[in-house]
Amino acid sequence: MMRRVPALLTATTLLAAATACSGGGSASSSAGTAFDPKSCQGGTLYILNQTSATDEHFDPARIYTSGGGAVPSLVFRTLTTRKRVPGQAGTTVAPDLATDTGTPSDDARTWTYHLRDGLKFEDGTPITAKDVKWGVERSFAPELSGGIPYLRDWLVGGTDYKGPYKGRELDSIQTPDDKTIVFKLRKPEGDFPYVATATQFTPVPKAKDGGTAYERHPISSGPYKVQTHVQDKSLTLVRNPNWSRTVDDQRLACPDRIEATYGLSAAVINQRLSTGAGKDADAVTTDTDLSPAELARISTDPTLKKRTVRGQFGYTNFIAFNTKVKPFDDVRVREAISYAVNRQAVVNAVGGSSLAKPATTFLPDQAAFGYQPYDAFPAGPTGNPAKAKELLAQAGHSNLTITLAHRNNDASQDGPAVATAVQEALKQAGVTVKLQAYDQASYRSVQTKPSTEPGIFLAGWGADWPTGGPFLAPIFDGRQILQDGGNYNFAQYDDPKVNAEFDAINKISDPLQARPRWGALDAELGRQALTVPLFHPVYLRLYGKNVKNTYLDEWRGSYDVAMVSVK
Amino acid sequence: MTELVAEIGDPGAAVSGSPARARQVLRRLRSDRPAMAGLVVTTVLILAAVLAPLLAALEGQDTTTFHTQLLDSARGGVPRGALGGLGAEHWLGVEPTTGRDLFARALYGARISFTVAFGTLVVQLLLGVAIGLAAGFGGRWVDATLGRLIDLAISFPQLMFAIALLAIVPQSFPRPVLLMLVIGLFNWGGTARLTRGQVLSLKSRDYVAAARLSGASPARIALREILPGALPQVLTYAAILLPANMVSEAGLSFLGVGVHPPTSSWGQMLSTATTWFRADPMYVLVPGLSLLTAVLAFTLFADGLRAALDPKASLRGGR
Repeated sequence: MMRRVPALLTATTLLAAATACSGGGSASSSAGTAFDPKSCQGGTLYILNQTSATDEHFDPARIYTSGGGAVPSLVFRTLTTRKRVPGQAGTTVAPDLATDTGTPSDDARTWTYHLRDGLKFEDGTPITAKDVKWGVERSFAPELSGGIPYLRDWLVGGTDYKGPYKGRELDSIQTPDDKTIVFKLRKPEGDFPYVATATQFTPVPKAKDGGTAYERHPISSGPYKVQTHVQDKSLTLVRNPNWSRTVDDQRLACPDRIEATYGLSAAVINQRLSTGAGKDADAVTTDTDLSPAELARISTDPTLKKRTVRGQFGYTNFIAFNTKVKPFDDVRVREAISYAVNRQAVVNAVGGSSLAKPATTFLPDQAAFGYQPYDAFPAGPTGNPAKAKELLAQAGHSNLTITLAHRNNDASQDGPAVATAVQEALKQAGVTVKLQAYDQASYRSVQTKPSTEPGIFLAGWGADWPTGGPFLAPIFDGRQILQDGGNYNFAQYDDPKVNAEFDAINKISDPLQARPRWGALDAELGRQALTVPLFHPVYLRLYGKNVKNTYLDEWRGSYDVAMVSVK
Repeated sequence: MTELVAEIGDPGAAVSGSPARARQVLRRLRSDRPAMAGLVVTTVLILAAVLAPLLAALEGQDTTTFHTQLLDSARGGVPRGALGGLGAEHWLGVEPTTGRDLFARALYGARISFTVAFGTLVVQLLLGVAIGLAAGFGGRWVDATLGRLIDLAISFPQLMFAIALLAIVPQSFPRPVLLMLVIGLFNWGGTARLTRGQVLSLKSRDYVAAARLSGASPARIALREILPGALPQVLTYAAILLPANMVSEAGLSFLGVGVHPPTSSWGQMLSTATTWFRADPMYVLVPGLSLLTAVLAFTLFADGLRAALDPKASLRGGR
C-alpha cells in the first residue's frame, strides 16, 4: 500500500521501496564489451544495502514486496511477476509460474491460473498447484506474519482463516488438478494479477515446511538457492541446478553467485560504489539513492555521471489536511494554502530538480497509474501569495496562525527541510506557520489515528503496485476511514458517489480501460483541495563499473538484480 | 590541587576586593598575549552576536528568506558560483537547497551559542556552589550524602539522558531555556567539588575561627567569610566551563535535539552541512570555523585568567 510516508510501512515495505522508476531507465552498459544476454553468465554480483528489511525473515510468507521484490524474486517465483523490461512496459504484469496473467470471471471475483510445464523445485520435485495453494495458505498463519494484507481482505473466508497447520484448508482456493488453481474473492478486484506477483504466491512444498523454521532453508523455485543467510548481515545465493531459462522468460540470472551485505550506511554505500575498488566494481545497491550533496559532487565528474541511472517509483509527497479540524474544514483555507505553496522551494529543499518533480496531481506522472495532468489551483512554480491572501480574506482569516506537523528528520522527505520551505511560502501569504516535529516512531501512529491526527501535516504515498486503485483508494475511499489507527484517508473524506466509482473501477480487469477512469477521478478529487500535492521524487543510483544491463525498473525504481550482469 | 593552592596562598589575598591583588592580577593578565588575543576575539564575537539584527540589516539579508534563484537545482541545489555563492549580496554565501543567507544565519547562530553557554553557566554555578558549600560546611553525614550526589552527577551518562529529556519536553517550551537547563543540570558536579574543596580548606583558617568565636551564625560564616574566599577559583573554573557549554549546545543541536527550525545555531548548521563538505566546503567552514574560533578564544582567555589568579605564581613573584 504505501511506501515512505507512513513510516511504519517504511520498515516493512522498504524492500518494495526500492523506489522508483520513470524517467530515464535506459539500459546502459559500462566498460568492456557490450551486454549480451546469451553470454552474460558468470562472476559474482555484490549487493550493498542499508537494511535487510524484506529479507530479515527470508520466508516467502513473511516478505512484503512490490512486484516480487529484488532479492526475493531470485529465489521465489510467483504466479505472475513484473515484466522485466526497461521503460513504462516494466509497470505491467507478466506470467511467471502461470501460463498467463490470470483469467477473470464473475466480474473479476474469480481468478483462474494454469501452471506452465517443466517447473521444478531446487531438489528436483515438480511444482504443483497444491504447492502454490499451500504457500498462500501458510501466509495466513499468525506466526508467519509480515506479508501483504490484501489476501486476508479479498479471499472469501480470509478474515477468520488462521493458516493450514491445524489441518484446515482455505476453501476459496481450489486446485481442480495439479496444474490449475482458482481464487474466489469476496468482491471484484481487477488488479488481482498485480497482487499475484507477491511472494505469498510462491509454491512451498508441504513436506519441507517447518513453519517458522522454513526460513532457514526456503526451497527455491527460482534461478538461485540460498547458500548461507546471516540475519541482518549477509545473504549468499548460488545457482539452482533445476532452474533454466527454458522454463523462465522473466529472469536472465547472469551472475553465478550473488552476495548481499546489509547494515551499511548510505554514505558508505555510495562512496564504495563511486570508488569501485576490488569487488565493489561488481556491486549495486537495491535500497540507496544519491543524496543532494552526493549528486552535487558527482555531477562534476563525467565518469561517475556515466555510472548513474535515474528512475522513479510511483510516489507523491503532499500536504495532508484533516478536514475535521478548523480552519481546514473551510475549502477556501485549503485552496489558499494550495495557491501559496512554493513548489520550487520545496523541490530544492529535497535536492533540486534532479531528485524531485513538482506535482500538481495526486497520481504520479506515469501512465500506469492513469495519470492525467491537471492543476486545480494554478499558481506557477513559486506560488501565488496574493491570490492566497484574497481567499483567506474572503474566509475571514486575515491573521491566520497554523501548526504544521512534520517528521523530525529528512530521510523520508517529510521533515524540517520541506516544512521550513512551506513555512516560508505561507509567510508571504500572511499565514504564520508554527512547526511541530514528531519523531520517527510516533509520526505514523499520530497521523493515522483520526483522534490524534494533526490539522495539517506533511505526508507521502506510494502504492504497492502501479495502478490507480491502490494509489487513490486508501486516501479517498470513505469506507477506509479507520478510527482505531492505520487510517490513510487523512482528509476523512467520505462521498458515496466517489466510493461507488471505486467499486465500479475495481470490476475492470483490463488496466488500459481502468486508467482513464482513475485519472478522471483524481482530477475530480483534486478540485476539492483535500491535499496539496508537492512533488514526485526521482531516484538516482550509482552502480559498480563492471556492472551491465543496469536499468531501474519502472515498477519499483530499483535495479532488477535478476537482469544485471558482471561479466 | 586546588586545596593545596589555597593553603599555600595568602588567605587574605584570596579574598576578592583587595585592590592591590586586583591590580596584580590585571597586570599579569595584560601581559599575557594569548589571553588578551582571546579576550579581544571574544569581545568582537559577543558584540557581533548582540548586534546581529543590525549587521544582517547592513548586509540586507535575514535568516529565513529562501533564494532559490541562487541555487543550481539540477545539481542537488548547490549554490551557484564559487565559494558557496559568496559575494557582495551574501557575504559568506548561501545555504545549499534553500539559498538562505549564511552570514545572517551564522550571526544569529552565535546568539544561540552564547546565550545558551552563559545561561547554562548560571545554572551550573547556582547549583554547584550551593551544593559544594553545603557539602563543605555541613556535617559529616551531609558531606557524605552530597559527596555521593556529586559523584553521581559527574559519572552520569549525561548525553543519553539529555537527548531523552529534550525529546520528551513539549515543543512549546522555549528551546534555548530548555537547553540551558538540561546542559546545566548535568554539568554542575565539577563546580560543586571545587567549591567543597575550597570550603574545606578555608573553614579551618584563623579568620573563620575568629568569626565563629565572635558568635556569627553558620549561614553568615558560609556566605560572608568562606564564599568570597572560594569565589576566585570558582570563577576561573567557570571561564573554562563556558566554551565547554558551547560545545555541548553544538553537540546536542548537531544530534537534532537542539533548537527547532527555522532557528539557526552553529551545531544545527554543522549537522546539516556535514554531507556537503565536498560539494560546498563553505557551508561547513562557516559554522565550523565560528565554533572553533569562539571556543579557542574563550579557552585562551580562561587559561590566562587562571594563570593570573594563581597564588603560586605570586609567591614566586612573577608570572
